[in-house]
Amino acid sequence: MKKRGDLDVLIVGGGSFGTALATLLSETGRAFELWVRRKETAEEINKRHTNSRYAKGHKLAASIRATTNLDEAVKRAPAILMAVPSRSFREVARAVGDSIQGDQVLVHTTKGFEIETFKRMSTILREETCTLKIGVFAGPNLAGEIMAGHPAGATVASHYDEVIRTVQGLFAGSGRIRVYGGHDVVGTEAASAFKNIIALAAGMSDGMGFGDNTKSLLITRGLSEMARVGVALGADVFTFSGLTGVGDLMCTCASSLSRNHQVGERLATGETLEDILESMTQVAEGVPTTKAVQRYAESAGLDLPIVGAVYRILFEQADVAKSIEQLMHLPVGDELAALRYR
Amino acid sequence: MREQDKERVLVEVVHRVFNHYTRDPHTTEQALFDTLYEERIRLETEKDRSRAKKQKAFYRKIYREALQASPTRQAELLKQVIQAFADEVAGHFDPRVFALATRVAPPALSALLNALSPLRLLAAIPTGMATLDDQIVIDGETEAFKAVARMGTTVLVSTHLSNLDSIILGYSLFRLGLPPYTYGAGLNLFANKMIGFFMHNLGAYKVDRRKKAEVYKHVLKTYAGYTMELGYHNMFFPGGTRSRSGAVENKLKMGLLGMALDAYIHNLCNKKPRPDVFVVPCTLNYQLVLEAETLIDDYLKAVGKSRYIIEDDEFSKPRRVAEFLARLFSLDSRIHLVVSNPLDVFGNRVDEQGNSRDHRGRIVDRTSYVRRNGAPTFDAQRDQEYTRELARSITEAFHRDTVIKPTNLLAYAVLDWVWEKCPGMDFYRVLRTGGPEESLPLTEAYNRVDRTLATLRDLEKACRLRLDESLKGRDTGAIVGDALAHLKSYHRRPALTRRGDRLFHVDRNLLLYYHNRLTGYGLPTWEKPQ
Repeated sequence: MKKRGDLDVLIVGGGSFGTALATLLSETGRAFELWVRRKETAEEINKRHTNSRYAKGHKLAASIRATTNLDEAVKRAPAILMAVPSRSFREVARAVGDSIQGDQVLVHTTKGFEIETFKRMSTILREETCTLKIGVFAGPNLAGEIMAGHPAGATVASHYDEVIRTVQGLFAGSGRIRVYGGHDVVGTEAASAFKNIIALAAGMSDGMGFGDNTKSLLITRGLSEMARVGVALGADVFTFSGLTGVGDLMCTCASSLSRNHQVGERLATGETLEDILESMTQVAEGVPTTKAVQRYAESAGLDLPIVGAVYRILFEQADVAKSIEQLMHLPVGDELAALRYR
Repeated sequence: MREQDKERVLVEVVHRVFNHYTRDPHTTEQALFDTLYEERIRLETEKDRSRAKKQKAFYRKIYREALQASPTRQAELLKQVIQAFADEVAGHFDPRVFALATRVAPPALSALLNALSPLRLLAAIPTGMATLDDQIVIDGETEAFKAVARMGTTVLVSTHLSNLDSIILGYSLFRLGLPPYTYGAGLNLFANKMIGFFMHNLGAYKVDRRKKAEVYKHVLKTYAGYTMELGYHNMFFPGGTRSRSGAVENKLKMGLLGMALDAYIHNLCNKKPRPDVFVVPCTLNYQLVLEAETLIDDYLKAVGKSRYIIEDDEFSKPRRVAEFLARLFSLDSRIHLVVSNPLDVFGNRVDEQGNSRDHRGRIVDRTSYVRRNGAPTFDAQRDQEYTRELARSITEAFHRDTVIKPTNLLAYAVLDWVWEKCPGMDFYRVLRTGGPEESLPLTEAYNRVDRTLATLRDLEKACRLRLDESLKGRDTGAIVGDALAHLKSYHRRPALTRRGDRLFHVDRNLLLYYHNRLTGYGLPTWEKPQ
């Protein structure tokens, strides 16, 4: 019987993470292509083997081939990895949906919610495509570190064992990433989106010149808020102790490479959000995610003080120092009450 | 079922179940002894003594031999048990009677339903309402249903409130011009002798839900699946049993539902010219439910004490059935059957041309879901998830096509008021005592009905439910009057009564039952503490 197409996988999105995935795959000997929106980016990748916009200073492997023909590329690949930001996710998913069929595996790597609807990315994939074999790939994977060749780990979560096996198989030849499997799609998506909010808070703490005590307090209580949101959405609380929970929080909150961390840090030093976002070529997912989570928390009656503080700093011009001080004066109770007695 | 298919079904069912349990000697041994154990427990409480004696002797003989048998012999003994189960499930079926029933039974069924009301009660029915045709309204995607039934095998899955459901479904299929459906009828349906007779002859196979053995359940599933493969339309209630709480089903039994996909993949593997299996959800909607009192009592029993099988309910008493039908007839109360959009076995909508459509309306090649490297394949884990997707689409359709009746609305409004008057009071205590105030002013009820109706109208606009015609274009007084006429009559204790300008809540359990139809739509509802 004829196998679908000539590719093993298609990466949709030539941003920093899409390029990092391509770099990992280039070491495995898999046949793959990278779909990018802009013709000039495709030409640059194919001819000069660089992606100056999203992977500045890195030489890409010659085996990385970029295309701008989404329809044709989707039809050739049994598996598709989506690496596009949440704000354009639905639009790209719909375009993928025009060509995809039910036998194909579709996995996204986007860490965010749709702001207007608070929908998870896998829900959007379900709505915009016919495929059911959907999954999410997440974990502490800073694109810059992957490009630099450092070892890393990730989780692929799906209701379908076939999806998990497929993605694990794709990266099996790479000695630089360990891909674990899991079935908690909701938890994995909630954790990987939520951690960006805490990264903003951690950046603010660093920007204020606070030390590691403060940051640890923010991260740990942030983890608690993350788990509260996740459990309310139907996630398994243990997921938050894994790579996509604690793992990603440690990485993104500590690293100066994290875009969200950078936004938080610059806000604390007095820059405005508008100026910061304008100066960045890459997307800081934590900003729209904060808005989406804050709206959800209000409608679901969830108590998320750190999210509330970050929201007010981002969108209501609240003062960073005052917000942290307010957090410190909130009443204290049993540390794990919100999770233990659920 | 065609004469030539009867033997074929039996042979194939036994073959498939046997193969499933003889993958390795350990599985075979476990299946055999588990079945013998479960059957021994069941036979201890079997009422039919001569039948029990015969079966006990059969199992005793197998047990004695099995203890010392080789793995090969144990497999043979298991085959005997499987054969006995298969004979029991399908063996009563007589193709000649079926052929006759296909032609004469539906009109006879109509006569039967009418005959259930004694003549003097029939005489009380207002003119023009005496026929069943007027009594049952069939709505929704009937044309799409008929179209897909011509293109492939259909599996009709319905919400389930009452034992009358299967009869009403059987009758509705006849009215739609469709052939009788293969249907697994519980033993309790056969308790009513007249209906039992028709059940046998309308394609029903007997399901003994007291048989807990895994092997027995596998035989049932395989029987249903294989008949689907042969092109026989099937019908079942995916909730597994009548809704105890009165709420629309939101959790379905996956086992039988999964057989639709199983049959589809078998058909693709066998390159059948018409391989498709379509799932058609439908809802049944009543102003009053025959067995409401028994069902809600069972629902409210402490965890673990509720019964999966109820044999002594209103349905087993012909007089109660007659009273019920007469009451519905005299109140001009129609039973609504709403047919939802047909689905494929993956939960996608199917149009009248038989094309599967995704959420955006694009045509989907449904064979692609089960293809691997170009060929159709089975994958137990994947297929289980596909069936979950199907179940999700079915429960969505159930909610969307449920018709909210005046009794649901008034019960909701009154119960909402009762709970407001009992802040902090235990759920069961509120139901038992009714709280500090035994009645509410009629004007208060009207206001609450108006408020709830406004929310329900918004939900209907958003296509999340349907409102009964009697809730449209009528003033609140007429709606409340209609609901009250139902709620104060038929049931042994009235749920509500009106005295002067006040409404008295008499049976809160019944109010809870009718109110529960509104759970699952985002309205604040009262639910049993877990």
